[in-house]
Amino acid sequence: MNEILTQEKSIYLQIAEMIETDILRGILLEEERVPSTNELAKQYAINPATAAKGINILVEEGVLYKKRGIGMFVAEGAKENILGRRRSAFYENYIKTLLKEARSIGLDREQVIAMIRGQEETAEPEKQE
Amino acid sequence: METMNCNKVTKRYGANAVIKDFDLTLEKGKIYGLIGRNGAGKTTLLSMMSAQNPASEGSVTLDGENIWENADALRHICFAREISPSANQNSLANMRVRDYLKTASWFYPAWDKELAEKLVKKFELDGKKRLGKLSKGMLSAVTIIVALASKADFTFLDEPVAGLDVVMREYFYRVLLEEYTNSGRTFVISTHIIEEAADVFEEVIIIKEGALLLKENTTELLERAYRVSGLIEVVDEAVKGLKCYHEEKSGRAKSVTVLLGEGERLPEGYDVSIQPLTLQNVFVALCGMEE
Repeated sequence: MNEILTQEKSIYLQIAEMIETDILRGILLEEERVPSTNELAKQYAINPATAAKGINILVEEGVLYKKRGIGMFVAEGAKENILGRRRSAFYENYIKTLLKEARSIGLDREQVIAMIRGQEETAEPEKQE
Repeated sequence: METMNCNKVTKRYGANAVIKDFDLTLEKGKIYGLIGRNGAGKTTLLSMMSAQNPASEGSVTLDGENIWENADALRHICFAREISPSANQNSLANMRVRDYLKTASWFYPAWDKELAEKLVKKFELDGKKRLGKLSKGMLSAVTIIVALASKADFTFLDEPVAGLDVVMREYFYRVLLEEYTNSGRTFVISTHIIEEAADVFEEVIIIKEGALLLKENTTELLERAYRVSGLIEVVDEAVKGLKCYHEEKSGRAKSVTVLLGEGERLPEGYDVSIQPLTLQNVFVALCGMEE
């Protein structure tokens, strides 16, 4: 949770995404406690209600769970859960925008596919764990 | 102390009404942002809500009890207003910081002396200094200390960050949130530096020419506000039937701020840019100058 907030997007969404990213990067581990809404409020100088809204999204999605009287914890399988949702959002968030932009500047599907292939050949193969 | 209400409050100076028919409910445990242009009536409103200034009409109540000349109610309300020690107010200008704070402590039964002392150190104030010798930022710091240490259930801060440098402003928001999360007090904060305070406000109260324009959860307000821009005809078609503000045209281009009503959505499929807005953008769209 060391990123900074931007004005581009709702703060509570950014809070949720930052926690997710921390889980993907192994900064927060499964079954570990995450910062409380009050801690997040102080750290980011945001209203605790906003921080709570971000946390609640992750609870609804099963990424976090509440231990009564102790706090919020990273659920077992949270990493897979986040990856799964991010993969399905990939089409909405990236492919659709990519094709829209391609259409508006007169690139057809084949040209876009050729570009992706070209990029894959020149780029260093990215290491995935 | 659960709720504070303004009931059709009006304030007139001669024939001029600076606050008109103001209805407002403040709930316990929220941080409200009060924003409006210069002269919109923010300070007048806060002074009536703390019984420092009588309403011409209407009433301000705390849990149903009128607060005017009501010592029991006023113990729970703190309005830390800007200190302006001017030359003709010698007594205030000559007062030392620590004496000013001591005087303030007599008004609030729950005064937190430890917190006041901690903040004096943090804001690097010299307790021996006289108010007349303090910079604008240092005077703001004194006001902030009174507000936070008062421990009043309903605390109003009028332009608390005016004159503070950015490091001190950030410190103020942090210490405010710390006090808020520890105590659940209610705060109303007026400011012109909207952007940096926006994330601190749970709800925003926008006041325009003495009237309440809008009171809404900040996140929800921002989620229904967009800037739509593109070719004039396409923008007109895309925003048809929606509530629009702050129209700007240049050549064939047009942009407009849209506030979506309940259940309304922005139409898809138009070749327009749709951008989210900040609270400052929304405020300017609602209260800015007409072209």
